Amino acid sequence: MISVTNLAKDYRNDGTTTRALAGVSFNVAKGEFMAIMGPSGSGKSTLLHILSFLDRPSGGTYTFNGKRIEELSDEDLAHIRNREMGFVFQAFNLLGRASVYENIEMPLLYAEHIPARERTPRVHDAIRAVGLAEKTDVEAGKLSGGEKQRVAIARALVTNPNVIFADEPTGNLDSQSGAQVMAILENLNRTGRTVILVTHETYTAEFANRVIRLKDGSIVSDEMTTNHHTSTDKFFK
Amino acid sequence: MRLRDTIRTAARGLGHAKMRSLLTMLGIVIGIASVILLMSLGASAQELILAQVQNIGSNLIFVVPGATKGSRFAPPPTAQGIIIKTLVKSDADALRREPTVAAVAPEVRGQAKVVFENNDAPITYTGTTADFFAIRNFTTSRGNAFTNADADSFNRVAVIGPEIAKTLFGERDPVGRSIRLKDISFRVVGVLDAKGLGPFGIDQDNLIIIPITVAQKQILGMDHYNAITIQASDAYTIEFTQSRIVSVLRQNHRITDPDKDDFTVRTQEDALSLLGSITSILSLFLTAIASISLVVGGIGVMNIMLVSVVERTREIGLRKAVGATNRDILQQFLSEAIMLTSFGGVIGIAFGTFLTVSAYFAMMQFSSTGWVFALPLSAIVSALLVSTLTGVLFGIYPARRAAGKNPIDALRYE
Repeated sequence: MISVTNLAKDYRNDGTTTRALAGVSFNVAKGEFMAIMGPSGSGKSTLLHILSFLDRPSGGTYTFNGKRIEELSDEDLAHIRNREMGFVFQAFNLLGRASVYENIEMPLLYAEHIPARERTPRVHDAIRAVGLAEKTDVEAGKLSGGEKQRVAIARALVTNPNVIFADEPTGNLDSQSGAQVMAILENLNRTGRTVILVTHETYTAEFANRVIRLKDGSIVSDEMTTNHHTSTDKFFK
Repeated sequence: MRLRDTIRTAARGLGHAKMRSLLTMLGIVIGIASVILLMSLGASAQELILAQVQNIGSNLIFVVPGATKGSRFAPPPTAQGIIIKTLVKSDADALRREPTVAAVAPEVRGQAKVVFENNDAPITYTGTTADFFAIRNFTTSRGNAFTNADADSFNRVAVIGPEIAKTLFGERDPVGRSIRLKDISFRVVGVLDAKGLGPFGIDQDNLIIIPITVAQKQILGMDHYNAITIQASDAYTIEFTQSRIVSVLRQNHRITDPDKDDFTVRTQEDALSLLGSITSILSLFLTAIASISLVVGGIGVMNIMLVSVVERTREIGLRKAVGATNRDILQQFLSEAIMLTSFGGVIGIAFGTFLTVSAYFAMMQFSSTGWVFALPLSAIVSALLVSTLTGVLFGIYPARRAAGKNPIDALRYE
């Protein structure tokens, strides 16, 4: 479903060029749970941004579901992000003054392929899936960090995407909340969704069945992990 | 994104910053309210002036001595104090024979001190014929107007306005009593009904009307007239009657070259269109001033929208991440600006209407000239249009700034 070949990304700033990605190549199959790891500045966030169509590469090719990114307009990218991708950010990125319901509904407002009458049941399904049914009308800003991230996951789920991209989803959470978030992501992966997450925490990466390690913009290892942890044995023992 | 969702999203966006939205709207409210108020006041003034011009009589044509050079609105030379003696009795007689003319009232005017017992007052008196009262819609509240027989017999009688009657006589009935004008004694035969201000602010209540013969021969010592007021016959158009009057006067004065006319003929419509154009310019000027506050309000909206775009950079990034296109973001922020200004416009119309009504009652309370209430629909419609347009005009730049943001930079914005 995802295929990158020799992907490169340069940032130009005040005349100096910084190479964030120096030619990475890999494929991701449907249903994989992949973690991208590496130290700060290794290019893992840049890679995630390109994979999730938030940024464009400077070189190489990227094919998503048979579509090549360089052939797509910004509007096409926006539509694909809306229909096929879900996002979970480290900083949650919720509208603090809006209710949980409004936050989760947001991607549906841009989903013209989903009829308006389907919105309410979809939002409620997503809220239930993250276990926040009783907080539907609460202002998002008043929730705890763990709850915020669960709202963000519900928002990522509501359009029923094929891929969930998560950028350090547990980075701002305590271990208890982090476990809940990872359990949800793991569950999403079990139901067939591809999950790609960026993390520098080993225990978070251990939920994945594949780990790509980056250093200075290049892949240093790409391993399948067969005996990965699950939420229950990692956090609730 | 569907239009309904765009509007809902914009409304929520504004609702999350209620105080700021209200304060931003205030600029538009004040701008629109002042436009409404001033347009309404302009319309009121126009209607008032129209009423004043119609109040002096109907189908009137005025002849004054001396030619008027330049536009039809140029003042006649007599207005500059030049004495011209070309308008005389034979002109009035010839005009009376003209079939398009219903009535003719020659006039002479002078200023003098009028005295009754210990009271006196400076006054403008008019010497004219009995027809003047009918032509100019003057009616008497006490006594009667004088007759043409009074004029022919040089009777020293006077009809006085209600203002001067009050000044001289207080509560007493002036009819039958004598007043002195230029040391000549006049018997008051009638008191006029109150008529208020005429066009150009002429007081129609503070005047004395005496027979033209007495005024010409015994006070002023002159044979010519200061003006002739003519009532045109209903059977002909005013323009035709006007052209007939011109040719009668030319014939009487043996003028063949129209450039050598020694008189000016003006109709009531001329006065109306002159006053109309003055008040139109005045209204336009006032509205232009009010529009400045609208522009200031619009800049306020732009300013706040720009701040809002910066503050909500992450929100913009997030919306783009979850699928908003540049157009969606543009529409959302443009809708917010338009909502601010059009909602401000509606409140402004309500506030402006309130001010207009208050101004009406204040004018009725404190002004003797009377006032007409006017709230033109055109003012309301244009206020709505202009306020919406202000939103588009001042909202487009911030909205474009928002739409142009790169999603990843926007998401990273601190």
